[in-house]
Parts: sequence; structure tokens; C-alpha cells
Amino acid sequence: MLIARRNLLRDRTRFLLSVLGVAVSVGLILLLAGYRSGVYRQSSAYLDNTPGSVVVAERGIRDFLGTSSVLPGGAEDAVRATAGVERVIPVVSQFVIFERHGRKDGFFLIGYDPRFGGGPWKLVEGREPTADDELVMDRTAARQHDIVIGDQLELLDRDATVVGLSDETTFWAGSVAFARITALESLLRSPGLRSFLLVAPEPGISPETVRRAIDVPGTEVLLKGDVVANDAALMARVYDAPIGLMVAIAFVVGVLVVGLVIYTATIERRREYGALKAIGARNRTLYRVVTAQAAIAATGGAIVGVGLAYGAGAALMAWRPQFLVSIETSMVVVVLASSLLMAVLAALVPARSVATLEPAEVFRG
Amino acid sequence: MSAALLLARRGLGRSRVRLAASVGGVALALSLTLSLDAIYAGVANQLTSYIDRAGADVWVAQSGVRNLHMVASWMPEAVTDETRAVDGVVEATPILYSTDTITAGAERSVAYVIGLPAGAPMGGPWEVVEGSAQVGRGEIIVDRGFAQKAGVTLGDSVGVLGGEARIVGLSAGTASLINSVAFVAFDDFRALRGEAPVVSYVLVHVAPGASSESVASQIEATVPGVTALSREAFSAEERRLVTDMSADVISIMNVVGFVVGLAVVALTVYVATLARRREYGVLKALGARNRVLYRVVLTQAALSVAAGFTVGLAFTALLALAVPRTGSNLELALGIASIAKVALFATVIAGLAAVLPIRQVAGVDPAVVFRRGVAA
Repeated sequence: MLIARRNLLRDRTRFLLSVLGVAVSVGLILLLAGYRSGVYRQSSAYLDNTPGSVVVAERGIRDFLGTSSVLPGGAEDAVRATAGVERVIPVVSQFVIFERHGRKDGFFLIGYDPRFGGGPWKLVEGREPTADDELVMDRTAARQHDIVIGDQLELLDRDATVVGLSDETTFWAGSVAFARITALESLLRSPGLRSFLLVAPEPGISPETVRRAIDVPGTEVLLKGDVVANDAALMARVYDAPIGLMVAIAFVVGVLVVGLVIYTATIERRREYGALKAIGARNRTLYRVVTAQAAIAATGGAIVGVGLAYGAGAALMAWRPQFLVSIETSMVVVVLASSLLMAVLAALVPARSVATLEPAEVFRG
Repeated sequence: MSAALLLARRGLGRSRVRLAASVGGVALALSLTLSLDAIYAGVANQLTSYIDRAGADVWVAQSGVRNLHMVASWMPEAVTDETRAVDGVVEATPILYSTDTITAGAERSVAYVIGLPAGAPMGGPWEVVEGSAQVGRGEIIVDRGFAQKAGVTLGDSVGVLGGEARIVGLSAGTASLINSVAFVAFDDFRALRGEAPVVSYVLVHVAPGASSESVASQIEATVPGVTALSREAFSAEERRLVTDMSADVISIMNVVGFVVGLAVVALTVYVATLARRREYGVLKALGARNRVLYRVVLTQAALSVAAGFTVGLAFTALLALAVPRTGSNLELALGIASIAKVALFATVIAGLAAVLPIRQVAGVDPAVVFRRGVAA
């Protein structure tokens, strides 16, 4: 251990670089993981903040975000008449693309009826829409597109005035915006259209009981938690492959950096290792020295990397508030473990050159 | 070959492991940026495949609608006839469109569901690998990949738009990372959506010799409440959806790839310089100026970055070949612009990385060569 520390610290710059290399790699992995879980958390924002614990959707549809659900006519009344149902919030949802300053952006436009709820839960400026040509949009999205209250926005074939700004409604692929349910019915040329019903059971009745009680042909009745999970799974299909690829690359870079540093440190001290061998040290002892060096560099790097990830995450969210980086403790543990794995893999690189070292080396000029 | 280049090459080549680590590190860091660009370009390609392959010269949509992905476009039925009457239009086919979940057994998958009139000359599947290319009432054509995953085949039943349909055809090239395309009968689609007298898009064939752009503007001028775009323009709008909405993610990854690349190259060049201190001492003792030594260091950085860039490019190209074979619908498309950008990154990285060991080189004492015990 002593030899390992001395070897590593002999050149401070090199040691710092190696720590930095691991830190960047660990920080990147953590940041990506945090970004991924942030995407999932944001994806459930609307359902998390809207009352109701049971969701009624078109038959076959089990997510809230991915598809355009259309409930059969009369479904709302049938659900309202179901025993144990206290409250029904009807919503129409539609993904809408708008363009501002030559840049496209997307809305999950929610049509709601103020009598029943389902509108913005955190209005920070202005008011809720009272007419069909009015709209509440996300504050961050508004800031990004230089939109203020009173501005007009082109929504499909008509104009809508922004009358309110909401918070906590920014999203991985746009944001949530709110309009009256009648506005969406006419925008989509579907009078009476209902995409989803959010159902709250009467006090003392479990969501599962209500879920089983609702029996409307052509619908899918699900617990809200399941819909949230399905949305996350949908997102995973799109996000996990690219993020997995990035994490793999970051991991290999980390291994390479540590490996390189330890290798160089080992090669430089060949004479010393030779001397150790000449006085009877076994290969095993030398491996241990090499592995200890890798572990020190990796641990230092991992600690700095965790800090780096938190710092970069905070900076990212300040710069682009639509991103949520949510680093969970369990991820930190996994990443710390993976940095140790990096160290072990990295130690393999110089191990061979130590093993093949001739004790006689020390006596050479 | 200049002396600096020769020295730099020898300096790098002496330790194979170090060279491999340095080139590999740079390659991976640059691949980070390259592959992310390629992923997004691939997604953009896939996103436009229906627009590109449906066979229409001009797309007519609800006014203000310039995209297909996940959006809604609903126009009164009369738009089809009004479009057909415009000069330069030889054929106008209405389609219904919605993003829906199709289900078969436990498999559920997001799909663009297209409602296709009987005998439609465009808008249908462009490559049917099994069964029919025409859908009648109660029938559906799904992507081959979906059918394989769900374990269903011709004649089996699929849940769509809240109803059921029997598979009569399997198509290829109709799946992306995000969704696949499924085709049902126009009348079924309309019935399942409450019989509203609307259409989503009108696909247009223009007369031979007529320009799609001018016919599109003619349609917009004549038919009220529509947006008409040539296939190329519509496809470009759809691509912009990906580039605009992923711009921030890409710039973040660019920064990350750049920093990682810089850290790796700086480290390797620094370590290489350190290890060659004796040689630099000899050179200095022989009268070489610091300038010459800087040049050696810079050349080393440039060489390892150039090699790293080449390997990184090859690695990403290989990835682009290999990933589609894994059965995932992820596609990587390498573009010239992205390669140029990463090459620029590499150049800047090499320059910055060479700065670090300069002090080390300048500080080398010529007398070091006469000392014993400094390992080479």
C-alpha cells in the first residue's frame, strides 16, 4: 500500500489527471443516469398532480403520453353512474407542434373542464382559460420562446392567446399546455371527444374496487400507477438504447484512463519492482501494489466524479430548465461500485509487465 | 520526414500499450459525440420514412400542421374533392391518421395507424413481404417486426383503435425506434372514430412535368383551411422536429465528448512527455531549442488525436452496421457535417493537450542525461 501510494503521488499532475479522467467518466455516467430518471419523473408530472387514482382510456391503450386515445361516446356518463365513483375528470389530450422564431417545439395540449378539474396545478402568472381561444402554457417554454402573457400562438388552424403561465409542466419533449376541453373538441373536429377519464373513488373505497367496478365496452380501466409505469416503459424504449451506449463508452474511457496511468507509473518504477523481486517478493505482492494504485486513483476519481455530476446537473438545470437531472442515491452506489470495477480492469493492463519482469533488471546499468 | 515528426512518432510508438490507450481513449471520446449525432440522424431518417415512401408528391394537411409524428390533422371531407379540382393535380387520396397502440397478446406497440381507402394508389405499404398490400373491412397490415415479437401471423387478430382487425399483410421498412406503421381500411377507421366526416391528410400526385412546389402553393391558394407541402418540404419539416427538439441534448453531449476527449489526450501526451524526459535532455544537451521540443510534443498530440479520430470514425461506422442487426429498431446515420464537427473538436483537443507538457519540456535540465536512475 505504501509503495502504491508513493508510486502514484510521485507525480502530482499525473495523479490529478488520472483522478480527473475517472471523475469525468464517473460523472458522465451518473449525469446520464440522473437525466434518464429525470425524464421518467417528468413524464408522470400531469398524472401525479391531477386528482384521481384510476384512469379510463380507449381499449388497448395503457399509457397516457404515447398515443391519441379516443373513448367511446357515453363512456363519461357510464363511469359517473358507476357505484363508488366520487369524481370524474374528463380530459382531451393531443400532442401539438408549434413553431416560434424558426424553431419547432411540442406541447402536450390538455383540454379540461374547469368544473371538474384537471387544469394547471401551479399557475404562477395570469389566470386559467375562460374562452376557447385562450391557453395556459409552461413558464419555462414561454421564456425560451420569448412568449409573455397576451401573446398569440398559432395552434393548428387557429390562434390562441396565452393567458397564464404554469410551473412544473416542462417536459422531455416539450411541455404541458392547458386549454378548455371545448377548444380541443373543435380544434380536432370531434364534438364530445374524450381521451381519458381520471376517476377518484369515494372515501373508504379502494381504487382497485372502482377499477373492477367500471365496466364500459371499448375502454381500458387502469390504476394510475400502472399508467405512469407504462409511460416510463414507453420512454425507456426510446431513451435506453442511446443512453446505454453512452454509459458504456464512458465506462470504457474510465478504464482506459486509469489503466494508462497505472501502467505508466508501473513502467517507470520497473527497477524498483525488479529490486523487490530480487529480494524475494512474489508476483502476487506486486499485483497487489498495482491493484492498490488503481483502486486509489479510481476511488479518488469516483468521489470527485459524484461531485462533478451534481455540479453539472445543477448547472444544466439552471441553463436549460426543461431538463430535470434527478440523481438517486442508489445510482451513486452503483457508480462507485463500477469505478472499483474500472480499477480492477485497469490493473490488468500493467500486471503482465510486472509478471514478466526479470529480477536481474535491477543489476543492469 | 521532419525531425520533430520522427521523434514524435518514435516517442509514441515506443510503448504500444500507451499508444493503444491513448488512441483508444480519444477514439471512444470522439465516438461519444459521433454516435449521438448518428443516433439522432437515424431517428430523423426513420421518422420521415412514411412521408418519403408513401408515394405522394404533395401532402395536404389541416392549416398550420406541418408534421406527422404524433400530431393531429383533421379537415372536412370536402377538402379531397377541392384538392382534386386544382390545376396540376392528377390524383388525390385522403387518409385518416392517428398515433395509437396496437396490441396482440401481451405485445403492445405504438403505431401510426393509417386509414386507407380501397384501392388507394398511394399511402399504403411500400414493401409487403407476406400477404396482401390491400386492406378491406376488418383487416390490417402490420410491420413484420411487430408480428414477430407478438408471435402473430396472417389471419391472427390485432387490437387497434379500440377494435379488432385480422392481419392480411406483413410489411417491411415500416418500423422505427419509436413506432411502426399499421394500415387499416378507411371505413373501419372512420367507424371506430365516431363516423365524423373528416380526413387527416390528402396525398396528391401531380401531373408529369408539373412542379410539386407550385402545385402545393396552388392548393393552399385555392382550398381554404389547409397547409400544402411538397414531399421534400414536408420531410424537411419532420426532420427539423428531431433536430430542433434534440438540439439541447446534442450540445450537452458535444461538451461532454469534448471534455472527455481532452482529458484523455492531455493525459497521454503528458505521460508520454514525462517518460521521454531523458531523450529531451539529450536533445537539449545537443543544442536543441525549446521550440523544437514543443513541436515534438504538439506533433505527438496531433498524431494520437488523428489516429484516435480515424479509429473513432471506424468504430462508429461499425456500430452503425452492427446495431440494426441486434434486432432493436435503433438506426445510426453518420453525416458529413457531424464528421467535420468532430474533426474540428479533435484538432482543438490536440492543440490544448499539447499545452500541458510544455512546462515539463521547458523545465528539462540538459544535465538530466548524465544522471543515472531516471527510467526512460
